[in-house]
Amino acid sequence: MRLMLHPRSIAFRLIVAVLAVELVSSVVVVFLSFGYERHAHFKSFDTLIHGRADEVMAAIGDADDAQDDVMLDQSVLHFPQDEVYEAFDDTGQVLGRSPNWQGAGAAVPPGSKDGFVELEVNGRMFRAMHVHGGRFAGERVRGQGKMHTVSVLYGATTDRVWRAIDGAVEFYAAGSLLLLLVTGPLIAWLLHRGLLPVRQLAALAAQVSAEAWHFDPPASARRTPELAPLTEAMESVLQRLERAFLQQKTFVSDAAHELKTAVAVVKSSLQLLNMKKRTSAEYKAGLERCLGDCLRLEEIVAKMLTLAREESARNGTGDAQATDLAGCARESVRLLETLTALRGVQVTLVEPDAAVGRSRVAVAEEDCLLLVENLLTNAVQHSAPGSVVELRITVEGPEMVLEVEDHGDGIDAEALPHVFDRFYRGDPSRTRNTGGTGLGLAICKAIAEKAGGSIVLESQRNQGTTATVRMPAAVRAEQVVGR
Amino acid sequence: MRVLLVEDEVRLADNLAAALRDGPGFAVDWAEDGMAGDHMARQVSYDLIVLDLMLPKLDGLGVLKRLRGRQDRAPVLILTAKDGADSIIELLNAGADDYLAKPFDLGELIARAKALIRRGKGAAHPTLRALGLEVNTLEQTVRREGVPVDLSPTEYRILEYLVHRPRVIVSKRELLEHLYDYNWEHHSNVIEAHVSNLRKKLDAALGDRDAEAAPVIETMRGRGYRMAPEGPGEAHDLASDEPKAGTDRLR
Repeated sequence: MRLMLHPRSIAFRLIVAVLAVELVSSVVVVFLSFGYERHAHFKSFDTLIHGRADEVMAAIGDADDAQDDVMLDQSVLHFPQDEVYEAFDDTGQVLGRSPNWQGAGAAVPPGSKDGFVELEVNGRMFRAMHVHGGRFAGERVRGQGKMHTVSVLYGATTDRVWRAIDGAVEFYAAGSLLLLLVTGPLIAWLLHRGLLPVRQLAALAAQVSAEAWHFDPPASARRTPELAPLTEAMESVLQRLERAFLQQKTFVSDAAHELKTAVAVVKSSLQLLNMKKRTSAEYKAGLERCLGDCLRLEEIVAKMLTLAREESARNGTGDAQATDLAGCARESVRLLETLTALRGVQVTLVEPDAAVGRSRVAVAEEDCLLLVENLLTNAVQHSAPGSVVELRITVEGPEMVLEVEDHGDGIDAEALPHVFDRFYRGDPSRTRNTGGTGLGLAICKAIAEKAGGSIVLESQRNQGTTATVRMPAAVRAEQVVGR
Repeated sequence: MRVLLVEDEVRLADNLAAALRDGPGFAVDWAEDGMAGDHMARQVSYDLIVLDLMLPKLDGLGVLKRLRGRQDRAPVLILTAKDGADSIIELLNAGADDYLAKPFDLGELIARAKALIRRGKGAAHPTLRALGLEVNTLEQTVRREGVPVDLSPTEYRILEYLVHRPRVIVSKRELLEHLYDYNWEHHSNVIEAHVSNLRKKLDAALGDRDAEAAPVIETMRGRGYRMAPEGPGEAHDLASDEPKAGTDRLR
């Protein structure tokens, strides 16, 4: 059995804690037992010497002499050698005493109540009881005789009592110590067994890696109330991690594919041009095509960098700036005038009302512009010549809503969930006509989410598409102050 | 030789098609996605299929599996941007003949394309020799008994196709199918004119050195052409008017 007794391990700390509690309890038990034993032993000791004192008292009788004295009949008294007694009357005259003693002198005042005294006899501590009683000497019936008050002092050494107490306490102490020694390893063993689910969980968790995400927690860990939350947390963390990791991996692989393809285009264009002698007009046309291919490569790289920038800042919205969404929309419409004219599409911006004019969104202005421009470009490119693209900005409660609606060919229902995926292109034949990297909507989503908002796309095949961006609205600060 | 190019990136496809047409003089058909590529491969017996791996609708692996699933033995050259031996092993095991990683060299692509076509037709060397003819497929030159023969591109392509399969009757339709892509008008009398010119030029190369020599290209009335056999009766009369089935059996 391998005991986990690292100084900081839970097992070690638990063992130490349990042993410490045990130690404290044993000390308390020893103290309590000492008190109890002392009380019990002294009680029986006291009863014993009380009895003995009464025996001595009983041995005092009429001396049958002329003075009507009392006397102690020592012939009936048989006591252990190391116990002492003394009997005296109210005059202080000693009636008798044990042979091994010189007497206590005036230790007990005559006439006092029965009680105990501590005596020192021959250099040893004795506990003694004094009892008092009356004895009549003479003949009462004849009116003769005399009443004597007699006292008896009986003492015994307490050494034996203390030895008995000590013995009992020693027994308790030794028992506790033995228990302590036995329970230490026993607890360690039990803990080792009890912590088995933890070790199983750890062993399985250790097998998880970037290549093997499979994590099937042991049933023992699931059943343990203390481990179940941890197990569930680990499972969900691993699942999220795996998803994020897979997404990242897909992105890298997709990005590599896009870049390699773009580079392959440039390279093949140049090599094709160089395959045989050509006229200068052919060279010129070829070089222009190569330049176009290079621009496309440049666009992909730029968009990838933009996306990386927007996504990395997703959780840190600290530098939120108040940007005029309506202003961005007007600017985007102006910037895309050439494209809209080229495609023969009409863009109408639904004039924002006063509330919209005052409201701001927490996005940097260039991002806001990029967002509107991307959505508008998509709408224009997917619109048939002569159709209308509508741009609406409204305030709905705490949110600003931007809607871009086109009446183009729409998006297939099965493609709709993927439009925000990076490098996803719904219809390749369409992207062929319009260019596009498959990153535009992913960038839009990143921007909207950075601003704490959301973006959804609704589409009907051959009827059109509506992109709706919702972002929390913020009223411009200076206007609040001005009011 | 007729090549099917399945590639979704339009500029790359343009360049590859141009290079394959200009360089080795192949007839090139282009499919923009996997489904279209699969469809076209069913219609025509291609001498080579150049297949991109990441395609919309049906990916390159899917196209390849369907192709091999119906016992099509056309050589397949895969273009891939994926790294890693696993995907390459999977591709080769699925029946691909070769692969090129993007970004590739155009010259290498052409060389591999030629090699795959050659291998697909059972020739190991780029210079083909049959019946006193020597066809250098790299330089696209032809010699008969050591005498250079100057041919037009179409005549050369007809001869190259026939030399790849000596003693086999090749129908006019098969010739048309392998020499022209979809964008050409198909007229069998065009072939007849080219074959007639080709025969004249080949005979002229001999001069009066060997007037007894049999004509190199025989016309099998109603059935097509074949490179003349060394002796009568040896011909494997396997060609038919159904070019797809015929070529399949011959390969």
